[in-house]
This record gives sequence, C-alpha cells and structure tokens, in this order.
Amino acid sequence: MNVDRQRSTTFLRLDIVLILSVVGLMALGIAFIYSSGVTSDGIQVSGEWVRQIIWSSTGLLLMAAFAMIDYRRWKQWVIPLYGIGILLLILVLVTGNYVKGARAWLGIGSVGVQPSEFMKLASILMLAWWFEERGRGIDGLRVWIGAFVITLIPMGLILLQPDLGTAIVYIPILFAMAFCAGVRWNLLLFPLLAGILMILGTLGYAWSEYITIAPSGFFRLFTEKRMISVALPSLLILTILALLGRWFFQRRSFSALAYIFGVLSTAYAGVMGAAKVLKGYQMMRLVVFLDPQTDPRGAGWNIIQSVTAIGSGGAFGKGYLQGTQSHYRYLPEQSTDFIFSILAEETGFVGSLFVFTLFAIIILRSLYIAYTAKDTFGSYTAVGIAAMMSFHVMQNIGMAIGVMPITGIPLFFLSYGGSSLWMALMCMGLLLSIHYRRHKI
Amino acid sequence: MSSAPDPSKGSLKGRLLVLGIASLLVFAVYAGHLFNLQIVENLIWEGKARDVARRSEVLPAQRGLIWDRNGDKPLALNIDSFAIQIIPAEISPSNPQELAEKLAPVLKMKSQSILDALPTNWRNSWNPVEIKNGVDYGTVVALAEASEDYPGLVWSSKPYRWYNSIGSISHLLGYVGNITAEELQLLYNEGYENTASLGKSGVERAYDGILRGTDGQSYRTVDVKGKELSDGGVIPPKNGLDIVLTIDRRIQTLAEKALGPRKGAMVVLKPATGEILAMVSYPSYDPNRFAEPGPGNFGALSLNTDFPFLNRAIQSGYAPASTFKLIMTAAILGENAIDPDIEVNCTGSMTLGNREFKCWKRSGHGLVDLEEALENSCNIYFGTVGVEELGIDVIAKYARAFGLGSPTGVALEGEVGGIVPGKTWKEEVYHSPWTGGDTLNASVGQGFLTVTPLQMANVLAGIANNGKIYRPRILKEVRDSVSGDLVERTEPELLRSIEYLEEEDYDYLQNAMRGVITEGTGEYVIYTDSVEIAGKTGTGEVGSEDRWHDWFVAYGPWKAENPEDQVVVVSIAEASENYDYWSPKATDLVFEGIFGGKTYEEVVAEWRSRRVWWSWDTIDLPYPGHPFQRPAPENEDEEE
Repeated sequence: MNVDRQRSTTFLRLDIVLILSVVGLMALGIAFIYSSGVTSDGIQVSGEWVRQIIWSSTGLLLMAAFAMIDYRRWKQWVIPLYGIGILLLILVLVTGNYVKGARAWLGIGSVGVQPSEFMKLASILMLAWWFEERGRGIDGLRVWIGAFVITLIPMGLILLQPDLGTAIVYIPILFAMAFCAGVRWNLLLFPLLAGILMILGTLGYAWSEYITIAPSGFFRLFTEKRMISVALPSLLILTILALLGRWFFQRRSFSALAYIFGVLSTAYAGVMGAAKVLKGYQMMRLVVFLDPQTDPRGAGWNIIQSVTAIGSGGAFGKGYLQGTQSHYRYLPEQSTDFIFSILAEETGFVGSLFVFTLFAIIILRSLYIAYTAKDTFGSYTAVGIAAMMSFHVMQNIGMAIGVMPITGIPLFFLSYGGSSLWMALMCMGLLLSIHYRRHKI
Repeated sequence: MSSAPDPSKGSLKGRLLVLGIASLLVFAVYAGHLFNLQIVENLIWEGKARDVARRSEVLPAQRGLIWDRNGDKPLALNIDSFAIQIIPAEISPSNPQELAEKLAPVLKMKSQSILDALPTNWRNSWNPVEIKNGVDYGTVVALAEASEDYPGLVWSSKPYRWYNSIGSISHLLGYVGNITAEELQLLYNEGYENTASLGKSGVERAYDGILRGTDGQSYRTVDVKGKELSDGGVIPPKNGLDIVLTIDRRIQTLAEKALGPRKGAMVVLKPATGEILAMVSYPSYDPNRFAEPGPGNFGALSLNTDFPFLNRAIQSGYAPASTFKLIMTAAILGENAIDPDIEVNCTGSMTLGNREFKCWKRSGHGLVDLEEALENSCNIYFGTVGVEELGIDVIAKYARAFGLGSPTGVALEGEVGGIVPGKTWKEEVYHSPWTGGDTLNASVGQGFLTVTPLQMANVLAGIANNGKIYRPRILKEVRDSVSGDLVERTEPELLRSIEYLEEEDYDYLQNAMRGVITEGTGEYVIYTDSVEIAGKTGTGEVGSEDRWHDWFVAYGPWKAENPEDQVVVVSIAEASENYDYWSPKATDLVFEGIFGGKTYEEVVAEWRSRRVWWSWDTIDLPYPGHPFQRPAPENEDEEE
C-alpha cells in the first residue's frame, strides 16, 4: 500500500491497541445492552441500546478531541476545573434529583448528568498537578496531607449524596498516584492500615448488629456513649504520650508506638463514624456480601441471581439473546450494574476471559503510557486513570461474581449510561494524548 | 518547568510494575473464580437457574369412591368444586371494574370484593389471584362457555370428600384428613408427601393405598413476575381405585334405625363367607360437618363423654353374659362332660364356698337338662357343670376355639381382642390365684370375660356353619374408577375351624338355640314370621354397678338349604331404664326387615297393626345414626 509516510507515522503514534480494546468493549456493551432489553417473548422493549450508540459515537468524538489537545494544557486549568467540580457536587446535593436513594444527578432539560463521574477525572488531574508541583523528592508529610485533602473533599461530598461506591474509587486513585509519586511507605501505610482495621471493624459491627441474635459485647465499644467516652480519649492520650516520649527521649521505639496507637485511634474513630453515618441498607449490603442467604429475597437477591446467571453460562455460554436468568428478568439492573452477568451468561467462560483480556490490555497500556510519558504530570495522570479503571473493573466484576459487596458502580464501556462512558472516553483521550506526545519536548 | 528529566524514572518503573502485577493478579484470581463457577460448578448453577424459573404444580389424583354391595350409589365420593382465579395482567385491554361487574352476578358475590382481591399493580402481576372457591361445576361451565367475556379468568379443580347419607356408617367409612408429622415419619417411604391427605380411620384408612392413587405433576417455566413462558410437560395423575364394600346400605340403615338412639352396637354378618352386611355403633359422627361449629364439630366430638369415635362393634369389650352359655353348651357336648339328658335341679340359688349364687329366676327352674338350661338360660345348671365338670381350662379352650380372646382380623383399625381369662392370666394381671368363684362367673359369661360384638357374630357363624368361621371382611371388590372393571375380588378366608365338636353336637346346639326362640327366653320378644331364627339372649352385669349390657345374638334361617342364605345378627345395647331388653327387639326388627324385604318403617307400621305387645309409644322414635346434629333426645341414655 502506498501510504503517505508522514501520515502513517502520525497514525502509528496513536495507541492502536488501546483504541481497539476500547472500541471492542463498547461494541460488546451495545450488544449486551440490546440483549438486556429483550424480554422472554423475544421482543426488544428498551431503547437503551440506541441511546448507548449515540453516547458511544459522541464519546468517541470527545476522545478524539482529548487526544488532540496537548494534555499539558490542562495544568493551568486544573484548579478551576477542580473548583467547578466541587461546586457542582455541592449543587447536586442541594438541587439534584434522587435516583435510587442518592442525589447524584443534575438535570439539564431531560438529560441528567452525574457530576461525580467527571469529578473523578478533575481530581486525577488535580492530584497529578499537586504531586508534580511539589514533585522533587516528595516524601514530605505536607505533600501527602495535601493530596489527602484534595481527595477527601470530593469524596466526602459524594458520600453525602450518599454514593458509597463512587466515593470509594478515590481511595485507590490516591494511593496508586501517591505510591508512584514516591510518597514514603510509612506515610502510605498509616491510612491504609487504619482503613483496613476500620473496614474490618465496620463489617464486624454490621454483622453483630444485623445478623447475630446475641450481639457481641465487643461492638458495644462503638455504639455506647459511656464506652466511647473512655476508649477514645485513652487511645488518643496513649498516642500523645508516645509522641511526647519520642520528643523527650529521642528513641525510635516511641515513634513505632505512636504510629501503632495513631492507627488504632484513627480506625476506632472511623468505625464509630461508620456506625453513625452508614445507612441501614448500606449496612445490609455489607452483611449480605458476607452471607447472601441472610436475605435471599431482598438485598441478597441480586448477588444470588447474578452468580446463578454467570455459573449457569458454562464454558461457552447459552448463546447471544439466549440467557434465561436475564430474559426471564430474574437478573436485576441488567444493563447497568450487572451487565457483566448477562454477558457471562450468554458467552460463558470464554467470553468472560475475552472481556478480562480487553480490560487487562487497557490497564497495562495505561501503566505503560505512564512509564513512557514525557513528564511526571503525564505519568501521574496515566497512573490515576489506570487505578480508577482497575478499581471499577475489580469492583464491578467482583460484585457480579460474588466476591465483592454490592456498590452500584458501572463497568466502564460496557454498562449503560452516558456520564460514565463519556468520562471513560475522555480518560482514554487523555491517555492517547500523553502517549502521542511521549517523544516531544 | 517539567522539561527536566525525571530523576526517579527508574524507581517509577519499579512502582508501575508493582501496580501492573497487582492488577494482573486480581484478574487471575477472578478468572480462577469464574472457572470455578462456570466450568467446575456449572451443573449446580444450571440446576439452580432451571429451578428458579420452574414451577411445578401438583395434579391431584382423584380418590377412589366407596360403594356398598349394591353398587348403585356411592357411600363416599368427591364433590367437584372449583376455585376461580384471575391472572390480573391478562385482564387488559379490558379493565378490572368491567370484569368485576360482569363476574359478580355469576359468582353471586359483590363486585367490590373481586376488585379488592386484585393487586394494585394488576397490569404487571401474572400470579393468579383466587377470588372464590367452592364454585360448582355448572357455574364453571357457564363461565367457560363465555370465556372471551372474562379475560384473565382461570379455574382449578379442588374436589372435596363427601359422605352420602352418612348415618351410622361413619365408623366403617372413616374420614380423610391432612397427614400429621407422626404419620409422615411412618409413611414417607410409601410415597406420602407432607401435603398429602390420607384416610384417618375406617375403610378410608384401611384401604388408603387403594383409594389414594398417585398425584401427577405439571411443570412450567415462569419469569420473575410469574408469567408462564413455556409448558414443561405433564406427568398425569393416576386416579385411585374404587372400593365396593360388603355392606348392604339397606341393611345398614335398617340396623341403624332398629338400634335407635341407644349406646351399643349391631353387627349383621353372612356366616357362609364372613361378609359384614352391616355394622352399627351408636353414637356415631358426621365427617361432612367436622368443620362446623356446634356439637358435631370434630373437637367437640373428641371430648364427648359418650365417645362417638369409638366403634363399639369392634373396639369395646363387653361381658358376654348368658350368650356365653352357647360356648358352655359346646364345651359340655364336645367334652362329653355329662350326659345332656341328666337334669340339674335349679332352686333359684346355689352356694359355693361361703358365697351364695343366684339364678336370674329367683323361684328356680326346677329340674332342667342341657337343652332346657340353654333355652331358659339357667345359671345354676351352667354354674354347677362349669365348676364341677369342666373347669376354667376347658371353658377357655372352647372360648378360644370360637375365636374369643383374639381379634378377628377385620381390616379396621383398633380392633380389640377381648379377654378369655385363665389361671396364669389371673396370676399375671391380678397376682392372685384362680378360685372356684371365678370359674362360676366365667360359666355364666361374667367376671373377667369380655368379647366384642363382632366376636360374638363369629361365634354364631361358627355354630351355624358347623364349626367353620370365616374372617369377617368389609372389602368385596376393587374396581377401576373410570371403566368400572373389576380389579380384585376378595375371597372368603377360613379363619378357624373348630375340631372339638361333631356334626350332631352342632345339631343339638342349633336345636337348643331354636328352642330359645320358640319356648325359651326369646319366646315373647321375637315376632318375625319371615324367617325362623335361632339365638340366645344375654343380660350382662358390669361390676357391682347397676349397669346392664343387653345382648341378643341370633342367626336365621336356623336350618338352611343354602348356607348363603343365612345371616347372623348380633345386637348389644348398653341399656338402662326404659330401654332394658332392647336388643332382642332390634334383632327381631332386622330379621323381619331383611327376610321380609321391608324397611324399618314398614316393619314398625305392620307390627303396630298386629298390636305387638311392646309399645312403640313409650319412647320417642329412634334417632338413627349420629345424634349430635339435632337436639339431644330427652331420654337419651346416660351413664348413671
């Protein structure tokens, strides 16, 4: 083929593999959104697949636009973008529409958007800028605390909606970016340990509160005022004493003690907070994740139906449009949260592995782009995107196959929905832009 | 500002590698989990997927009917009854108001109550809603013919068991009920399920395996709202088989009315085959009305002190009293204990040890031989011979030979065997030695001896048959419920044959029993002209109380060319006050009814015109069968 050499190199400098994977996933998404709208009588009753095609094509234009814009231009816009995002999140809390119990939607005419989706991208850019700006040899506590605050503001606002699933995505983004930006391990580990303890404590609390007939006395520590008024101050005093010891005696052992007590008191406060803040149905979801059979007709229904659909798919699936669990409507939220279940039911193990491969390519390509990026802003942005992608895939598919609790977060490119698709494609555009400009000055 | 090469490019590579490997690990773990779900456990999940969408429905088998020997009218049957249901989603494009208004007059209910039964989201609800049950066949046919007018209307058959003109036959038929946990444990291996209903007593219980059939099943696939998607096939039910009883409905009614409202029992039996023609026990119950409040309610009946659930014909042991003298006569003849012609002088009493023993005729019978003693029921004769010549061992031997002391093996639950006492028996039960007084009591059918009315019928059958006793039975035939083809016919089963007596001994016995009617204790109470009967009276004392069991046992014709023509009738009334000595009269009525081909009312009317001495007007006319459906008769006999 006689092709213009200059054009061909320009074209080749685009990441073809990434684009093909994304387009492939989107095509699968449209196909199975179509399938999810087919009833047991074989009639298509939902127009979702048409809308998804519209969003996909407009999204591809957005991706192209983002690919063409030099990603470094975003640096001067990060603070306004982040600020606007925060404002929108506040706005949504005040005037947003309730959808499934959460105020996450801003209505513009008949179209609704979820600001929280776009806020993820704004936060990634903001963090990339922050880490690069304070970049050289960052290991300082202040940089870490700054990044923490940048993450916690949108996270907190989203938790207020309340949308636990979307809020949690910020955690892997923050940690992955901070990890790659070289934040010291003991700084990274502190909130991580506290977080793990907090999650375990919350799960245990939910279990003893909602399931066991005789609640364990241990968890009264988190609910009874009298207990709290003793336990929390004593933990805090221990931490302060250890810090004072470090200061007076200059012994490293005291800093280890202070670290441990700090982790413990943070986790304690966290469980206490969770016990106060988490709503009944959210607690129930956690519990149901631990044992779906506690509520097989209610909250456990989704997990049981999803796993049944997937398991009954077998090696090669029941065939396109032939799924029974999905078309008999036993499977809930087929086009959004549980799109993977209908796909796995109809295409089987082979189809699932194919989807895994496409997602793995996208994530590994993002990490590779992070490595080859010309500057740290590009690297950090790519890492943030990779972390977000991985978490979404891990959480959504994990939920569908029953190894993760139910949080309604979408599976990028496959789930029905404009906001998340557009956001994902913008991210892909950013990656392409970073990749395209890897050799430029 | 970012143009300077990043100094930490190397460490970045390492950290990116860590992230990449971590995410690949997650994918690997998920792929492993998926492999487990979709490949390893695939069959389990496929099964669950099928189960969740598959609904099975039991297609109940029709329970077999129960007929009497005439086979013209079933005694127990299933009443067709239908439950009317609506599948709400199928009402559209019509609307519920319209449907309810059309349906209400047909079903004789208010249209509002139809609307109330429908869910608010009726457009989306595919689960049938029941709006009325107990609807008869005709109404359903009318609805079915105009089914286009009633969109969404479906019906299902819910037959219930009904017992025709139940009367006293309830003890025999029994009733059906839901299986209990205890019954399920015993019957699980025979294919009963926890929703099964089964016969609880009587024939319904004894032949439940024949009557019940096997339920079928229909499978269909439904979606999450219950809408039917596909027909999954049908296993058709196997209907139960019909049972034809040996009972003759005519004779049953006759005996029931003849016994009237007197606690007691009557058994009518064909000695040549063992077929039971009638079995009455008073009081009885009406299973059709178990659920209704009032004295006929199941709970009330269970607590009733007259024990209406007790089938007195087989479940009560009574002292045989003077009817036992038949066994005594057989023993004297069989053992050649004394010459039957030797006479014993009855002075009205005798003394044994320090106890004075009285004959029922205080003035005494004078010199009596064996035949006269039986005819006049002389206690002194049988007491003397029993104590001096026979002894309890011989008496017991003959009692057992005639089947006393052990159940007859009729196919009904709860039959008791009665008691034939003996020396070891008394040692074991009372820890005291057998005395001459005990033998004296046994000789006149008192004391420890107890027998059931059915056993007494067997004794009579043994005498009438010259020693052959057939097992009493109630099942005549098993027939296919649809075609009516004979599936099985039960044959007479020889229960026992008595070897101790000669042909002429039976002649002697039969003659003497005929004498009871013609010149003995039965002379002034037996009026039937239609048949020559032979029998024996009996008046039993119960303990020291002034309670009387009044027996009459008889068979007829006493000499028959064809043994098939013979019928045994046993009657016992737990009588008192103005009902004393009712049993001979009841027996007399039954014989006249059977052999004269008359109903009870016809016999009564005729005998009234003949001015039979016992007045019908001293007592209210008997309320047959189960007494608890109407006001209790004023002079219903009570225990004192």
